[in-house]
Amino acid sequence: MDADSDVALDILITNVVCVFRTRCHLNLRKIALEGANVIYKRDVGKVLMKLRKPRITATIWSSGKIICTGATSEEEAKFGARRLARSLQKLGFQVIFTDFKVVNVLAVCNMPFEIRLPEFTKNNRPHASYEPELHPAVCYRIKSLRATLQIFSTGSITVTGPNVKAVATAVEQIYPFVFESRKEIL
Amino acid sequence: MTGRVCRGCGGTDIELDAARGDAVCTACGSVLEDNIIVSEVQFVESSGGGSSAVGQFVSLDGAGKTPTLGGGFHVNLGKESRAQTLQNGRRHIHHLGNQLQLNQHCLDTAFNFFKMAVSRHLTRGRKMAHVIAACLYLVCRTEGTPHMLLDLSDLLQVNVYVLGKTFLLLARELCINAPAIDPCLYIPRFAHLLEFGEKNHEVSMTALRLLQRMKRDWMHTGRRPSGLCGAALLVAARMHDFRRTVKEVISVVKVCESTLRKRLTEFEDTPTSQLTIDEFMKIDLEEECDPPSYTAGQRKLRMKQLEQVLSKKLEEVEGEISSYQDAIEIELENSRPKAKGGLASLAKDGSAEDTASSLCGEEDTEDEELEAAASHLNKDLYRELLGGTPGSSEATGNPEWGGRPPALGSLLDPLPTAASLGISDSIRECISSQCSDPKDASGDGELDLSGIDDLEIDRYILNESEARVKAELWMRENAEYLREQREKEARIAKEKELGIYKEHKPKKSCKRREPIQASTAREAIEKMLEQKKISSKINYSVLRGLSSAGGGSPHREDAQPEHSTSARKLSRRRTPASRSGADPVTSVGKRLRPLVSTQPAKKAATGEALLPSSPALRAEPARPQAVLVESGPVSYHADEEADEEEPDEEDGEPCVSALQMMGGNDYGCDGDEDDGY
Repeated sequence: MDADSDVALDILITNVVCVFRTRCHLNLRKIALEGANVIYKRDVGKVLMKLRKPRITATIWSSGKIICTGATSEEEAKFGARRLARSLQKLGFQVIFTDFKVVNVLAVCNMPFEIRLPEFTKNNRPHASYEPELHPAVCYRIKSLRATLQIFSTGSITVTGPNVKAVATAVEQIYPFVFESRKEIL
Repeated sequence: MTGRVCRGCGGTDIELDAARGDAVCTACGSVLEDNIIVSEVQFVESSGGGSSAVGQFVSLDGAGKTPTLGGGFHVNLGKESRAQTLQNGRRHIHHLGNQLQLNQHCLDTAFNFFKMAVSRHLTRGRKMAHVIAACLYLVCRTEGTPHMLLDLSDLLQVNVYVLGKTFLLLARELCINAPAIDPCLYIPRFAHLLEFGEKNHEVSMTALRLLQRMKRDWMHTGRRPSGLCGAALLVAARMHDFRRTVKEVISVVKVCESTLRKRLTEFEDTPTSQLTIDEFMKIDLEEECDPPSYTAGQRKLRMKQLEQVLSKKLEEVEGEISSYQDAIEIELENSRPKAKGGLASLAKDGSAEDTASSLCGEEDTEDEELEAAASHLNKDLYRELLGGTPGSSEATGNPEWGGRPPALGSLLDPLPTAASLGISDSIRECISSQCSDPKDASGDGELDLSGIDDLEIDRYILNESEARVKAELWMRENAEYLREQREKEARIAKEKELGIYKEHKPKKSCKRREPIQASTAREAIEKMLEQKKISSKINYSVLRGLSSAGGGSPHREDAQPEHSTSARKLSRRRTPASRSGADPVTSVGKRLRPLVSTQPAKKAATGEALLPSSPALRAEPARPQAVLVESGPVSYHADEEADEEEPDEEDGEPCVSALQMMGGNDYGCDGDEDDGY
């Protein structure tokens, strides 16, 4: 437990998903035919558009709802979303940038030790579930944060949560538990 | 025999014949009772001479066959749907469990899990088979039987992960903490399948030992147990001189060949694998290995570090080389001033590297030294360009470049911007157009444009010709789809013309009903009835008439007049009471209304002599009605409506005439009485 303070854990955010609305109908065919970096999935009824700075991929639905993935921070996600809205505006739509919100954040974090998964699972029963037949990681859910952690035996932890803050708190919360069932260094 | 007395003769000697099921008085011979249900165990002798009990067993929970009296006509009549579900589940569990060769105890436990799942509504929205498989697997886990989820998915032909999802949900919801899988469980089972004959036990023991070792070497965490078992068994089989190929093993343990190979190579990396067979059986190594994936990650990290070090060294070496090159160049300069001058002029021309390199291409056959010098010069030029020093802009001699030093900075940018491509004129145009752009952008108000580089965004939009080309391509590619769409539209239009077009109704969204808010129970019931029509057989208008205003109910003057009078009395008493005093004012008003309204009615009708004093207020309104019945309903209607005009206006209730209301009340009351009796 005393090791809590002296290690600084790097939480690397790998993906931020955000959504926003344009409050106008989007003609997907027009976007598909006039935009660069787009893929029109006609049978699904959506357009994928990629931006390079920030590097995001957006799914555009004709209802005007847009989902942006691939950003690495909340600010970047917002910036990317605004840029996307701007490019749609340039395509001639009456875009109104509303209802922006970050919906999901994915982060990776490496513990400086290995974790005994069976032991860990046993100690944290209701929250953790370990099914090697299905998935190599322990799935640990924190209901209050709406965060899910995938804990691997190598000590790397993948966290998904509704926002960056929740992800950070989730890692903070999980640390003492995984520290308890770490592999003892002989 | 029995303490009964014969009804016929009073004799007490009554004989009960259990076989025939009747009771006969021995004195008079009258049959007192027949078809008696017997409650005793009977035995019959079978043809073989053995005796067996008559009847059938009924299990504790009644899920088995229950004797039906109706002779199988309405078999499931008396059974609840829940009981049926459970029975079905039990049948399925037995079926599936027998295929897995589970014992009765496990099946019972599984059934109990299933019951829990049903009672918690966890079966809803899931397939029965999935839930049952999950229940069975839950038992396998808690009881530690050597069954895998894969076996169940094999039997059911369902994706393992679907089953896994159901299983996890059940385990979570039922709060059952299944212990983690131990791969050792599966060893005997797989060993049996691999047919080692007499040595079966020894091989499985060795495999178990191997597995233990693998566990200590962190090979089992996060790995599928079957793969681990496969590797252990394969090694164990080889150790005991059995020729088992990888293929044979994977067909038993059901993992991919590459998985098995990976496990084997991982095992190879552990120090245990370096031991001989004898050593392995005797020695237990103390140390533990890191997880293979961890070591792999470490190795990768080390490789990266090494690479970095190497590249650093490489750079140093390169620097050294370039210094030598410089020295060479200086030497060259000294020795060949003419050639150098020519190159310099070329460089000053500003026709950057192209000409120089082409020059090199021409000359390299002639003079190697010259080439070296030229390339070095070029390098310098690049460096200057990248550095963005003012000297370089002079060297290039392009006024555009000189005027826009930041554009050079953009060269460093990973993204090729417009400026870097030298289309600054168009950029300027763009910028000027952008100045006007924010006006229309400000229309939306909400899009914050700060930090958005419009130039770049423009590049995401194709220009006209490009768009045209793309559109053409797209149209060609999707020609069929477009044609279909057109055909469809045409068809719809045609159908619409013919009037046979049916619009697809949008799926009824299951809107959540607004919670009923009512001050009284009656109101609440009314609202509830409105929301969901309970039955089409209920006459809702009557109900409405029952409750309050009772507008629009049909007249029933033909109904017995005497009855109506009494009914009205009843109704008088009833309506206010039933309205539960929510609005006493209106109820009073309604009670008064008949009195007001009937006054003109009786005048307009036949000049019948009425008691002027009209002693009984209650009887009075009934009278004219009773009389009017003869004059026919139509004329009555007209009269009444004409008469009722004024009182209506006074009341402020436009569509309900007083008599109508009374009629309604009567009617409602009739209904009420009918209901009552």
